[in-house]
Amino acid sequence: MKSSLRWRVLLTLGVTALAIFLAYPPSRKIKLGLDLKGGIHLVLQVMTEDAINAETDQEITRFQDLFKRNSITFTTAAKEKPGRFYFSGLALDQEGKAKDLVDQYTRDWDYAFVGDRMDFTLKQPAVQFLRDQAVNQTLETLRNRIDEFGVAEPLIQRQGTDRLVVELPGIEDPDRVKNLIKVTAVLEWKLVKAGPAETEAALLGGEGVPVPADAEVVRGDPKRSAGGYYLVDKVAAVTGKDLRSVRLSQDEWNSPAVAFSLSPEGSRRFEQVTGENIGKEIAIILDSRVISAPRVEDRISGSGIIRGRFTQEEANDLVVVLKAGALPASIQYLEERTIGPALGSDSVRQGLMAGLVAIVAIMAFLVFFYRLSGLNALAALILNIVLLFGALAYFHATLTLPGIAGIILSIGMAVDANVLIFERIKEEQALGKGVRNAIVQGFGRAFTAIFDSNLTTIISAIFLFQFGTGPIRGYAITLIIGLMANLFTAVFVSRLIFDATIPKTAKALSI
Amino acid sequence: MQLFKTPHIRFLKYKYIALAATGLIVLAGFLNIVFGRGLKLGVDFGEGTLVRVMLKTRVSVSDVRQQLAAVGLANSVIQETGKEGREFQIRTMEVASTKADETLESHEVMGNKVIEALRGADGQAEQARGFRDLNTIDLKTLTALLETGFPEKGEELSQKVISERNTRGIFADFAEVSAAGLEPGVLAFLKDKTYLGKLTVLSRETVGPQVGKDLRKRATQAIIWSLIGMLVYIALRFKLANGVSAIFTLLQDVLIALSIYSFTNREINLPIIAGLLTIVGFSINDTIVIFDRIRENQKIQRKMPLEDLMNLSLNQTLGRTIITSGTVFLTVLALFLFGGKVINDFAFLMLVGTIEGVYSTVYLSCPIVLLWQKLFKPAQGARR
Repeated sequence: MKSSLRWRVLLTLGVTALAIFLAYPPSRKIKLGLDLKGGIHLVLQVMTEDAINAETDQEITRFQDLFKRNSITFTTAAKEKPGRFYFSGLALDQEGKAKDLVDQYTRDWDYAFVGDRMDFTLKQPAVQFLRDQAVNQTLETLRNRIDEFGVAEPLIQRQGTDRLVVELPGIEDPDRVKNLIKVTAVLEWKLVKAGPAETEAALLGGEGVPVPADAEVVRGDPKRSAGGYYLVDKVAAVTGKDLRSVRLSQDEWNSPAVAFSLSPEGSRRFEQVTGENIGKEIAIILDSRVISAPRVEDRISGSGIIRGRFTQEEANDLVVVLKAGALPASIQYLEERTIGPALGSDSVRQGLMAGLVAIVAIMAFLVFFYRLSGLNALAALILNIVLLFGALAYFHATLTLPGIAGIILSIGMAVDANVLIFERIKEEQALGKGVRNAIVQGFGRAFTAIFDSNLTTIISAIFLFQFGTGPIRGYAITLIIGLMANLFTAVFVSRLIFDATIPKTAKALSI
Repeated sequence: MQLFKTPHIRFLKYKYIALAATGLIVLAGFLNIVFGRGLKLGVDFGEGTLVRVMLKTRVSVSDVRQQLAAVGLANSVIQETGKEGREFQIRTMEVASTKADETLESHEVMGNKVIEALRGADGQAEQARGFRDLNTIDLKTLTALLETGFPEKGEELSQKVISERNTRGIFADFAEVSAAGLEPGVLAFLKDKTYLGKLTVLSRETVGPQVGKDLRKRATQAIIWSLIGMLVYIALRFKLANGVSAIFTLLQDVLIALSIYSFTNREINLPIIAGLLTIVGFSINDTIVIFDRIRENQKIQRKMPLEDLMNLSLNQTLGRTIITSGTVFLTVLALFLFGGKVINDFAFLMLVGTIEGVYSTVYLSCPIVLLWQKLFKPAQGARR
């Protein structure tokens, strides 16, 4: 064997072995996209404005405290919009003092004096920081919830500034998971002042009666409680932040319930509130809906249970979300796809079937038409597919439906490369050239066409990958890999097979 | 084996007829898209909710339509996807609310409405008696249920049932459930605790308007840039005329494929975009093979007029064109026949594109180069 032939054989075998090593077994190494496997694909928008709103509310309270402690007088403190609030009725001679205090306390807020008003605006970097933090925290919280729920190989990714992509493969019960993700899970215990009543007017004792300043109206969750409207304290006795642990439990009638215990600080407050309000009702509010409003029978300190007509699953899911904590901002669904496992497995089965039929048809055709040379093309084609899967496994690319389209195109072009070469060899033979010469010339002449057509398509696929989204990128990636493999197999390997099997003195070529 | 001796067909004799014919087809397609049936943008581009369902028994499309009309969803696009009249793909068009931020939720509401309308009163009596629907139950719940009758074996049994259900899509009767390899005792237990609902949801997709707009923009951008990339590369490797001609050829390919597609009741989704790009890929491949042959022949036959050169090159590559397109056609035909419902629209588009791509390569790419040379003919003898 000539030395150049030897290293070419070695190179080919090495590459093949590597690809097989990477891709075997394909059922485990090649990840299927959700369109083929089934699962949930969600795009969520994090409403970062919520985080800014919450921060504004908190700061107003803190500034009020600060001013009161330092005996700066004012009449009102009010929010204009998220990130903007003002204090009015300030005494003019206290302006300097207020300024010093604020400067000492924070640098996140810009302020300006307009008459007796002090206007606060949240600075842009702080706004950016809050938004960013809200998105990251949401991502973390969702990840915790999903991990707690138990999903294999979840994908949770940030997309752009305030979007999250969640992909959960092989989910059996999509609606349940969707609910799990969507709840903000802000849990509060608030004393009930009145209610429940059928309508808001009945609750307040007449049409147009204003809600007391220290109270708010909350609706009952019709699924969990009697529904209707409740008038509750504005300030929560304890919240989800005070929870130390939660677990699945049962109430005295053996219905599913959630048991909780509070942190020391939370216990102290809960004990005080319940102790002072024995006989009254305390509403348990989840995401601004009352889920139950038990009567306080006795002073409660560290622990208790939450009832709410839960099914076993609902109670379980509530434990999951409470463990992972509340979202810093609410989320909105922008895109949602649920592919059932039946459809997914159907697609894979039928896709494989079609692929097999197609490949067998092509192979039969190649061998029938080009005889022994057809076998050569076949070897190149099979190697091409092996390399493609090896590369897909290496890059952790997922195979999707559009990805299959990319594979079809690259297989088509691989066959075409062989056809181009073989037809060219025939032409050269028709001109009276010998077998070896015809092979050399055939490959040489066909090369520019193969190179140009493959490279053009690769270039276009690179742009598609760069600018496209999900499915289009899936298409581009298989195409790029397939065509690169094609340049190697059709030109290099196919030639090698001829060189290695056709003796120099051959008089005829089976083509 | 030789397909045929190199023929001597004067393809380009008919170039004006071909150009006119192409123009007419494109015009017809354009008119159809703009004023006629138009292109139906699918759920990927923010248009409604797509629900795929499978039913226990056979029904007709008109039955489905009637059931939907009863809840005010008469405009939905209904497609039968399986062969047995049991699988349907329904896309709602109506929107419950026109407020932008509520659109996705209202799409969801519409999706629920579709499912409820098709389900009707089915299963309500059974559910009231505490029966579970074996056709929609999830693995965990079924495991818990089976644990009550068969401790320690619930997981294994429910996995058997669910995987059997996944292959079938839906259980038509308990005989099909028993095909999962269950003992009579287990089957009797299931018959006692569960019922078989008439419908199962195979998939549900909703894309909100924001993301839909985004996807549309990104897809357009990606296609435009990839076309520019091709134009530049071909212009560098061949001549500007070839690059321009290649792009025109591709545009025509896409337009014709789209207009034929628009005459069918199919919708445009992201996989269809991938299909269009594949057609473009094959067509550019054909075009380059011929350009390459012309380039080569130009070096050998320096005196021959361009038109004759083109005819010669087309004839020389004809065998290859037919063989390659034939194999691609076979592949796509296999996808069309056996590829299943999800891939069917895509395969249909590819079938159209493959046939049409051959025509456009022969009758469009070369004539355009000729036309371009005639219009911008370089000074005598200034051959690059």
